[in-house]
Amino acid sequence: MMSDMPGLNLAEGGRDSARLVRVWDPLVRVIHWSVLLGVLLNAVITDPEGDLHEIVGYAILGLVVLRLVWGFLGVQTARFTAFPPNPRAALAHAGEILRGDRSVHLSHNPLGALMAYNIWATLIVICISGIMMGTVRFFGVEWVEELHELAFNWLMVSVVLHVGGVVLDQRRTGVALVKAMITGIKNIPDGISTK
Amino acid sequence: MKKRIFETLWPGDADVRRAKILTAMIIVQVLCATFFLIDVVLDFDAGGHPTHLALETFVAVVLCLGIWVLMIELRALLVRMEQARQGLRVARGELAQVIDSFFDRWGLTSAERDVGLLILKGFDNENIARIRGRAVGTVRAQSASIYAKAGVDGRAQLISVFFEELLANDPPTGDARQAASL
Ligand code: HEM
Repeated sequence: MMSDMPGLNLAEGGRDSARLVRVWDPLVRVIHWSVLLGVLLNAVITDPEGDLHEIVGYAILGLVVLRLVWGFLGVQTARFTAFPPNPRAALAHAGEILRGDRSVHLSHNPLGALMAYNIWATLIVICISGIMMGTVRFFGVEWVEELHELAFNWLMVSVVLHVGGVVLDQRRTGVALVKAMITGIKNIPDGISTK
Repeated sequence: MKKRIFETLWPGDADVRRAKILTAMIIVQVLCATFFLIDVVLDFDAGGHPTHLALETFVAVVLCLGIWVLMIELRALLVRMEQARQGLRVARGELAQVIDSFFDRWGLTSAERDVGLLILKGFDNENIARIRGRAVGTVRAQSASIYAKAGVDGRAQLISVFFEELLANDPPTGDARQAASL
């Protein structure tokens, strides 16, 4: 499916070394780490009643929407078509992992893809319910506040699973995923096929 | 002049720099557009003045169009950079093949092939000797043998053999040339 991806073999002359493939464009990377920063700020530091909490929330919403638009307009690995939401593929992938398959996905693997969609949806719910809490119409309405908190708790669960998944996958395949999210380049160890 | 100052402040590949600038502009404008749009919603909720609302909406929409254009631009740039790298790689691969085929044709021994590659990479005899852990005299004899087998009278001519070969052929893709000049 991904064979037409403009992957990149940067290896300098070393045919026997690991392949380096450019996977994440700068926009995806900046959005990821900015959203992480925003979530951290609002979860830990800002006063939930304060202006800063609101401003950071707006910024997160903008970043997530931008990422979603980039999922249609962006380069190959950033596109939704590179990691479609597909529960059946996710199950199959889980099976492959259990059977010891070590092939690497250049974009998100099917499980990671589901997690990404889940996180984006959750972030949007948190941001919109947060904005609603500040409106005249929904001010003090209980279900809105409950939704905001519930979605936040779900986000925390999701992020724990997300980071756990990243660490496990990094162990399984030997691909430095976190480094790839920082530099944009995945190292594919020798003898491992890509999808 | 302006460009030169910028390059001193921020060295590196021009396209990489362009991609970073575009990314930064997209992010900043998205933040602005988000604040504007949310402000429209909140003003509407609070019963704001219609003309004010209309103006704000207009500004937000224009901002979004600008972001759209920047995103298309960034995408095109990233695709072009990828193609350029691809072309460069092909060119590199071709060159390696060309070198191999010439070395084969001249019947170089494996030691001579190694020395030949180092010569092409621009090392002088002293450095080649150091890299290969041989006496300079040995390397000198090996290079003389290479030049003799290749029918050239020295380093410069040896290198030009490969250049001529590359220039004689069409570059593998149009992008290879562009990439090489980056
Ligand atoms: C609030 C915290 C976090 C959120 C909301 C979050 C969200 C996301 C999302 C939505 C994606 C998909 C990226 C895209 O396609 O644009 C992603 C990918 C990724 N995240 Fe996070 N993330 C968080 C924290 C972290 C942390 C702490 C790490 C580092 C340990 C991390 C490492 C990664 C990596 C490596 C990927 C790429 C996975 C892959 O290669 O498929 N994330 N994250």
